[in-house]
Amino acid sequence: MLVGAAAALALPGISMAQDQVTLQAIFLPATWGVVVRDVFAPQYEKETGVKVEVQLVGRDAIHEKMATLFAAQDPSFDIFNLDYSWIPEFGAGGHLLPLDDLLSEDDKADFFKTALDVGSWNGTLYGLPQTIHPHVLWYRADLYADPDVMAAYKAKTGSELAPPTTMAEWLQQVEFFNGTQFEGQTIYGWAAQAAKGFGNVHTWLTFLYGYGGSAFNADFSASTLSTPEAIAATKQWAEMMKYMPPGSSAFTYDDVTTSAQQGTVATALQWSWGAFAVDDPASSKTVGDWQFVEVPAVEAGGQSHPHLASWVISVSKYSKHGDEAKKFTAWLETKANDVVQASLGGGDPVRSSSYANPTLTEAKLEGSDALRFRRYDVVLKAMQNTKPRPFFPGEEAWETVVSGPLQAIQLGEKSVEDGLAESDAAVNRLLAR
Amino acid sequence: MSDSISTITRGSHHRSRRDGWTWFARRYGALLPMAPGMLFLVLMSIYPTVYSLVISLFRWNLSDPTRMRFGGWHNYGLLLTDATFWNAVIVTFKFVTIAVSLELVLGLAIALLFFQRFPGDRFLRAILILPMVVAPVVVGLLSRYMLNVQFGIVTFVTEALGFGRVDFFGEPDLALGTLIVIDIWQWTPFMFLIMLAALQGVPEDIIEAAKVDGARPVRILFDHILHLIRYPVAVAVALRLIDAFRVYDIIFMTTRGGPIDVTQTLSWQIYDAGFKSLDIGYAAAYSWLMLIIVVVTVTLVLRLLLNEQASR
Repeated sequence: MLVGAAAALALPGISMAQDQVTLQAIFLPATWGVVVRDVFAPQYEKETGVKVEVQLVGRDAIHEKMATLFAAQDPSFDIFNLDYSWIPEFGAGGHLLPLDDLLSEDDKADFFKTALDVGSWNGTLYGLPQTIHPHVLWYRADLYADPDVMAAYKAKTGSELAPPTTMAEWLQQVEFFNGTQFEGQTIYGWAAQAAKGFGNVHTWLTFLYGYGGSAFNADFSASTLSTPEAIAATKQWAEMMKYMPPGSSAFTYDDVTTSAQQGTVATALQWSWGAFAVDDPASSKTVGDWQFVEVPAVEAGGQSHPHLASWVISVSKYSKHGDEAKKFTAWLETKANDVVQASLGGGDPVRSSSYANPTLTEAKLEGSDALRFRRYDVVLKAMQNTKPRPFFPGEEAWETVVSGPLQAIQLGEKSVEDGLAESDAAVNRLLAR
Repeated sequence: MSDSISTITRGSHHRSRRDGWTWFARRYGALLPMAPGMLFLVLMSIYPTVYSLVISLFRWNLSDPTRMRFGGWHNYGLLLTDATFWNAVIVTFKFVTIAVSLELVLGLAIALLFFQRFPGDRFLRAILILPMVVAPVVVGLLSRYMLNVQFGIVTFVTEALGFGRVDFFGEPDLALGTLIVIDIWQWTPFMFLIMLAALQGVPEDIIEAAKVDGARPVRILFDHILHLIRYPVAVAVALRLIDAFRVYDIIFMTTRGGPIDVTQTLSWQIYDAGFKSLDIGYAAAYSWLMLIIVVVTVTLVLRLLLNEQASR
């Protein structure tokens, strides 16, 4: 259906009728937003006569802008790029147009179910998935394959050095690597987002889910962070934090990327999509060196549940060109454009069929035999078990509230039990508000 | 007869209306030129202020404006029993007190240095006030990069000096102090400029007379000069206090309220409540409590400064 809609838009008659329309869109200044602004919007205008003006705005600013525009029922912007965790908030507020009619049965089967689920609230699709990126474990394949490093690891631990499959193995490895020298450079155990705000929460969630914990009870009426599972997960996470580079308590996505590019960490817990940055010869010293595996499970043979990140595209209910905005949104996520978007570096595809497309699966890094999208097999596996953030209208406020006590834990200022109890109290207080 | 009566009545009616206009013009005519300004004030300042007071009494989340419920003092009650509010009050007072005090002392000290002419003083003065003209958000960004524990130039210096890498924004014991130092770097020039202007307004004959009486420079400063410049000092302190209470940009660009909650000031908390949680009623109540705190503090400090000086 999306293909049909896209084809219909290319008809000259429609193009003539629509040449007066200008859509205003806000996207994240990540690669997928840049691709929409620089490639897709100009192409769409050529094909349909509909101009799409794209502004790139930071994550927090998008949230603020949406809230204030929606409160005023302001039609200034038609299309928004949303972190999926805002769908319940703005969906429940009735500020977004339903997008269910954009999807055929084929589309529904092709999009990742989890991606559609997190674009929906109360059974209505409000956000068409644009990119998904679950947490995957990155590891330096050159380090793991170095005979000297392997021998040293064997000598110290008695185990063979291989990508970790359990949390205990991973901990042992980051402990081993932390502070070692490799090719004249100091290596730290791992890197992950740890900054206060949402960074440390997003990393910690992968641990929480892996240990079987949950942030809330079933109806989101009470915080459940003092359970044995949550305590065990947080203890593991806090222990692991000791093996990150100096200054890691302020690590954002960019800092993790920089550490991986500079080769100062042996492993990283990072969004799958971010791998493009380490293969960029202009900014990375580790082109082709990183490989990807699933996040380690708690026990051997167990299953991890990585935290899912995903960005969706929504249409404002107050848009004066709602139908046009929906058509553009649908066109962005046709089968063909999902592949084009990924090939241009615009985030990991949201359709499972794209992961078998040779344009992507056979693409190689320039001047190398390494596959450009070598992470895709792991991404597909991760998508089977990934879990979203707590999916309720107060999620943004929730992660702000728990972030503080979590940072107290990671800096050793509070015990895990005390920090989680404080989080519980703060979250329950938030719910009472 | 009846005609003449009606004429008289009509005439007196005309006269009384004319008298009324005259009276009105005489009494309120002077206010007319002020009307546009008053209207602007009402629209841009008084209305939003009253509106914020009203919404502070409502339980209202911006993401769902249809569910706006009157809550009375609910938001205020929640805030006053919230430990994070009191933590923010303490953090803000630490920041404001230390930063403004040091800016005052340093500003006065530098102004005394520049009170005497010396070669290159104009050029140096221009250099000195540069930090003040940089946007706080730029100062925050520069600080973030300069103090970055991975690649910042300050890290390079601390390592070269043997202190190792110092995580200025990430260490709970250092973060607030670092923000205070940044604020002092940026706003001491403001104090300096006002102090210098004030010093230049001090009558020279008073200083000369004190010198003739054998007073030492320190005594001249404390007994005469500080007394004479008390009003400019009070204005400078008041302006800096108000500004320091509102500190936000630097925190946004550097610590974002962290690590943990050590740099979580009142204005940062208001941002969190209003723009992260979209809890606009709660944020409005927060703003009103902050306003009360700022007004009371500034009034007390001014009273202290002026009374102290006047009693000398």
